[in-house]
Amino acid sequence: MNEIKLINIKVPQVYLDLVNQIFEIDKKSSNIKEENSIKRNINKIKNIFEFELFPDLGFDYHNPLGEDYSETRTDCEATISGTNCENLEIVEVIKPIIFCSAINGNQKHKSIVQKAVVVVKSRNN
Amino acid sequence: MGEAINFGIDLGTTNSAIAKFVKGDVIIFSNPQDFGRNTLPSVVAYKKDKITVGSKAKEFLEKDPKSVVGVFKRKMGTAESFKIKSINESKTPIELSAQVLKELKTFVNTGENLDAAVITIPASFDTIQSNATKDAGLQAGFKQVVLLQEPIAASLAYANMKKSTEMKDGQWLVYDLGGGTFDVALVKIKDGEMKVLDHEGDNFLGGADFDNLIVEKLLIPKICQSYHFNNLESDMKSASGKYNAKYYLYLRRAEEAKIILSSKTSAEIIVDGIEDENGVDVDIEIIITRSEFNELVKNYIDSTIDMIKKIITRNSLKPSDLEFVLMVGGSTYIPFVRNRVEEVLQIRSNCEIDPTTAVAVGAAYYAATKQKSFKNEDKSNQNSSISIKASYNKASKEKEELFAARVSGDLSGLNYRIVRQDGGFDSGLKKLTERINEDLPLVSGTFNFFTLSVYDQQNNVVQTDLEQIGINSGFAISGQPIPEDICLEVDDYDNPGKTRLKLIFQKNSILPLRSQSISFPLNKGLIKGNADDYIYINVLEGSHLALPEANKGIGFMEIRGNQINRDIAKGSDIEIILSISESRDIAISVYLNMADQEFKQTFNPKERHTPIDFLKEQVDDLSFKLDQEIKEASDKEDYETANSLNRLKKEMDVVNNETSSLTSDDVTDKRYQLEDKKRRIAQEIDLATKNKRLNHVRDNYFKMKEECFEMLNKLGNDHERKYYNDIVSQESAFFATNSPIKIQEKSDELNSLLSGMRWRSPEFLSLLFEWCKNNKVKMNDQSQAKSLIEAGNISIENQNWDRIGEICRGLLNLMPKGTTNDVNTRIGFGL
Repeated sequence: MNEIKLINIKVPQVYLDLVNQIFEIDKKSSNIKEENSIKRNINKIKNIFEFELFPDLGFDYHNPLGEDYSETRTDCEATISGTNCENLEIVEVIKPIIFCSAINGNQKHKSIVQKAVVVVKSRNN
Repeated sequence: MGEAINFGIDLGTTNSAIAKFVKGDVIIFSNPQDFGRNTLPSVVAYKKDKITVGSKAKEFLEKDPKSVVGVFKRKMGTAESFKIKSINESKTPIELSAQVLKELKTFVNTGENLDAAVITIPASFDTIQSNATKDAGLQAGFKQVVLLQEPIAASLAYANMKKSTEMKDGQWLVYDLGGGTFDVALVKIKDGEMKVLDHEGDNFLGGADFDNLIVEKLLIPKICQSYHFNNLESDMKSASGKYNAKYYLYLRRAEEAKIILSSKTSAEIIVDGIEDENGVDVDIEIIITRSEFNELVKNYIDSTIDMIKKIITRNSLKPSDLEFVLMVGGSTYIPFVRNRVEEVLQIRSNCEIDPTTAVAVGAAYYAATKQKSFKNEDKSNQNSSISIKASYNKASKEKEELFAARVSGDLSGLNYRIVRQDGGFDSGLKKLTERINEDLPLVSGTFNFFTLSVYDQQNNVVQTDLEQIGINSGFAISGQPIPEDICLEVDDYDNPGKTRLKLIFQKNSILPLRSQSISFPLNKGLIKGNADDYIYINVLEGSHLALPEANKGIGFMEIRGNQINRDIAKGSDIEIILSISESRDIAISVYLNMADQEFKQTFNPKERHTPIDFLKEQVDDLSFKLDQEIKEASDKEDYETANSLNRLKKEMDVVNNETSSLTSDDVTDKRYQLEDKKRRIAQEIDLATKNKRLNHVRDNYFKMKEECFEMLNKLGNDHERKYYNDIVSQESAFFATNSPIKIQEKSDELNSLLSGMRWRSPEFLSLLFEWCKNNKVKMNDQSQAKSLIEAGNISIENQNWDRIGEICRGLLNLMPKGTTNDVNTRIGFGL
């Protein structure tokens, strides 16, 4: 029972494209300084993707902006900016981590179906 | 006859891959750490305590060249070695290649022990380089290594794809343009023997150069046209430049555009996220056309064609002597590459094989024809005596959880690696020591599974006694389950004026809980400023199958007209989110879409919230309901039920009197006691009348089923028949629940099926159209209604039923929303 086995779920690219677009809107809306409730609509769409669209399948994403980065993070594909590569931080998220959760009986399995594409930079720079 | 080798490995300069021949076909193993990809970047990174191979190592290649090594294949067979700063040691290209091969072994998920493989080498490799490759294979633990030239492997992949058992005599070119290198080889087959006659190559030419060109020659000039920058290019390309992070972002977008241009004639690149020197936000979409891109890469492609020309001249060939140019390598997806080769050389380009995996596939086909030169040993060494005693929290709310383990047994030469099952974490290969400490990152809200694997020096898996590591994140496993269902009281559309329960959290769900957002259309409007107008949200604890009155109210929230900033129409949406913390605080968040207003309230069960007005209303309702039930039971001569209900009536009267005498600012506990009594009475009513309700919904179900069946025979399609049969086949199961709500749900499903079919029925559509005509006065837009009705009259004459359906929909849309609901219930179709 100690061999590496990963759950690989293949999902149609069009779902990932849609989730990526929601992420983009989410990102852009957070730059709008005027008070608004766009976030609510985004959350609703995210909610639909996570729970309502399919009976036993759901998609959600995570924006790792500002999180630590090291080579153990296989949930991100990183490009290192700057000269230093110690004490790295995610400074730019081009695509988010997309999870797909599948319900099997009473158990919910969550798998990464898209790695985040990020740019990282050392905090020591 | 010995066993066949079957495994083929493409040990590439930039990327490697592994494939296996199985029963006439080849499977390519996918990269377990990089799902969706079949290849492994040929890059090795060394840290003090671990080795990382592949994409993670590649990320650090440019920035940490003293500890990360790539493109070492070019140095195979030389005395050169790479000094690795982090471990203060030198590594030879052979050792580095062995690491890549060992990593490829972990791709094989069939549980086999890899002891022999065919490994490919470039056509340009001399004997020393070839032997060095073989050595790398042996160091990686293979007992036998067979070498095969890459162009031959690609050609074999092609031949096998064509299923031609024997290829005809002839010659062709293999054009291999990858991410960072280019190779071309002349391959000839004669009397069934395939060989490489000549080759050329450039180790510094590939797809990455094209991405760079897009940014440098297209994006930067176009950005500078519209915005003010002093020296954007150097600020981007210099590691210390202020736009260096953006450079990588745009490189990535350029790569995406390049891929799109392989199938479309133009692609857009969005440039945003930076400010120019004047502080203006850059935000432009740059369209790049295929012809612009072709122009950019033309010189590079022409240089590859020059190399082909050299081969042709050197071998005294005419282009017509060559059958085709076999395209290999990811960059040959670019249409211009194929077209340019065809155009200049007048030789057909052949793109029939998958350019990224062809070499590994060909190697596997070749491996199927090669026998192992040794006998398999008994795998007794797999029963290792490694014992791992692990200690970690099985539930955690932290972002990371510390995993600690004590390892016993002979640890010499062993390594370990921990990966998260969803592919989001890989510790890298680390030396196995008596104690292991590792911070494992957790994905919140889910069960995180990790696997600790132990490997020997050749990356063969060593069995241990450790089970999978499972850590529950976001909710504690030892958390408290809720003792009852938590429900929301909602309108019962089937019984106008009544309410029913909607299950939000099921009994035994573990705290804390947060619901998804639940949307409903409002059953009444609210006038701004009118404090008497209100809607309420009532959260109840107790079985979701019971009557709302029978459950305990645990959260109650009112929104009155004087709290809203505009009038709210009936039918507009309300969104509710419920959450319960571990300490049982219940938070309700209500959002009114039309007003774009959010209301939040948190309830603590200790402060039971029972407004007296609401209690009075509920007691009145229940009292009225009880009277009705008694009357109904007496009319039906069901004296047993009537007697039990009459007994309750006495208690009800007491509660009624006591509630009426409460003042709205009563500070005693009386209201809670009365609420409890009311609830108990409601539960008893529920129990006493359950049979009545059950019979009612059962009758209703069978009526609906019969109607549906008739309609199916007339107008049903296969999909509807299947849907109907699915419901009917579950009949015994949902009847066995004895729950009126469950049975009602199934009736509703049949009803919606029926409604769908009715819209294809001429009788129904004529009736509906007549109904709409009769109700024209109620419609919002009279002139539109008139023209729709005129069109409908003509369609009725022509019996154009599809058109009538559309017209009816149009007419119904003109009706006030409330009326439409009345129509739904009265005529009996759902919209």
